[in-house]
Amino acid sequence: MKPRGDAERQLAGPERSSAGMGLACAGVSFSYAEGGERLPALRDVSFALEAGGSLALVGASGAGKTTLLQVIRGLDEADGGAVLLDGASSGDSRYEALRREVGLVFQIPELQLFAATAFDDAAFGPRQLAWPEGAVAAAVDAALEVVGLPPAAFGGRHPYSLSGGEQRRLALAGVLAMRPRLLLLDEPFVSLDPGTRRDLVAILQRLKGDGVTLVLATHDVDLAWALCDEVLLLAEGRVAAVGAWDFGAAGAPLLAANRLREPFLVELWRRLGRDPATAPRDFAAAAEALA
Amino acid sequence: MKASIAQYYPGDSAVHRFDPRAKFVAVSALALALFVRDSFASLAVYAAAAALAYGLSRVPLRWFWRAFRPLLWLVGLTFVAQLVFAPGEAFFSVWFFHLSWRGLELAAFLSLRLVVLVLIGSVLTLTTAPIALTDGLAWLGRPLRRLRVPTDELALMVTIALRFIPTLLVELETIMRAQRARGADFRSGGLRRRVRALVPVLIPLFVLSFRRADELALAMEARCYRPGIARTRLHPLRASWLDAVLLGATAAVIAVALLV
Repeated sequence: MKPRGDAERQLAGPERSSAGMGLACAGVSFSYAEGGERLPALRDVSFALEAGGSLALVGASGAGKTTLLQVIRGLDEADGGAVLLDGASSGDSRYEALRREVGLVFQIPELQLFAATAFDDAAFGPRQLAWPEGAVAAAVDAALEVVGLPPAAFGGRHPYSLSGGEQRRLALAGVLAMRPRLLLLDEPFVSLDPGTRRDLVAILQRLKGDGVTLVLATHDVDLAWALCDEVLLLAEGRVAAVGAWDFGAAGAPLLAANRLREPFLVELWRRLGRDPATAPRDFAAAAEALA
Repeated sequence: MKASIAQYYPGDSAVHRFDPRAKFVAVSALALALFVRDSFASLAVYAAAAALAYGLSRVPLRWFWRAFRPLLWLVGLTFVAQLVFAPGEAFFSVWFFHLSWRGLELAAFLSLRLVVLVLIGSVLTLTTAPIALTDGLAWLGRPLRRLRVPTDELALMVTIALRFIPTLLVELETIMRAQRARGADFRSGGLRRRVRALVPVLIPLFVLSFRRADELALAMEARCYRPGIARTRLHPLRASWLDAVLLGATAAVIAVALLV
């Protein structure tokens, strides 16, 4: 990791543009070292996602979803190939600053809460980036507001006094406070009650509407279908399919072969004798189409 | 990520199959006997015995080296300290350094003895699974139960602690990554800054550990664990004729070393 220079700090500062970031992987491979052996986790992964796009990352457990997110965020360095952020790869002078605009929400992120107040916890990232305290406060307040934890009511609460769903949203706020232009989410819906799930979907819809690029690793095909315009199916570290959703003769068996299933609304459309390619993304659209 | 505390090398050699109790007794006896005589000849006997055990265990030398390397500075320190401070007629003096043949001999002997001690001890830790070792120690500690020492409970605590070290290391790694993704920096700055950078890692790790300990205790109670009652084992320790051979050979090695 390179030491932070002042120029980089400014680039990663709070007053940058809010448009989404373009993401591409070109032949990315990665393997874990395990007792002197190399365990390949990603093999020749290539795809491109336009700024403001939304990509569902699906695949059976152990397919490499988490590893891919961590490589994109730069927590692991790819063994081969390149991650391109807004077209810049790791050799580029803009890359370090761009990497700071990639937010990664870990699996069960509430396990990382540590500060004495919700505000301080969400402020950890911006403060690490040495933003002025005024900018930190503005970013944190906005992030807490977005996740439905109004700072006036929740900012002073101890993180461990919050409910599970509130903790999850606070952890998300901690990432959003850094104003990411590309947001990577690793199984964000795991062990949430249906109400919190619905809240989280609404938050992600809103971020998508704001132009943030989304990559969502999940087993929940219904939510992936509701949220993401494109899909990347990983199988044993390789790209099995990427691009627009495909429930045709090629796509449907691939989902089944990877321990997935079609989204509920797609299956409904199929059973109603309609073209699965025209399946609605949510209940409102389904009701409209069926009326 | 590797737990460097337990450097067990799984295997199926004769040395691996010895009963942990026999191995512990043999290694303790050898380690104690090592300090009885100050002679290079007896040292050579112990070293040969340890080397034989290594050969039989088929543990790669690389593994022994990994265990030994952190102790190298201690051996070096022992050598230098003896060399400088040992009494004897100096053949070379600078300031307060007095090199003597006696000092050189003493330094060589003491540092070699340390090497042989580590060699003997690591045969035990390299070829015995930590849990087998605690089981063996619990059995050896049984007489202490008459003095109301809860040996089985202590062994269970050690076993659980060993079992959770790799889990904790994985969690530590995950939390560090998550905080790094939030901009934390563990690799730059002075000592003060680095220690402070650990706060966002240690607090979640402790919270997680306490929660896990609570849950484990509940899960054990739910499966009828009660301290202080006798229980049977899935893999009871069984001594065989091999262990008698080991103890006999150990006695023979010590006898030879004391006589040469």
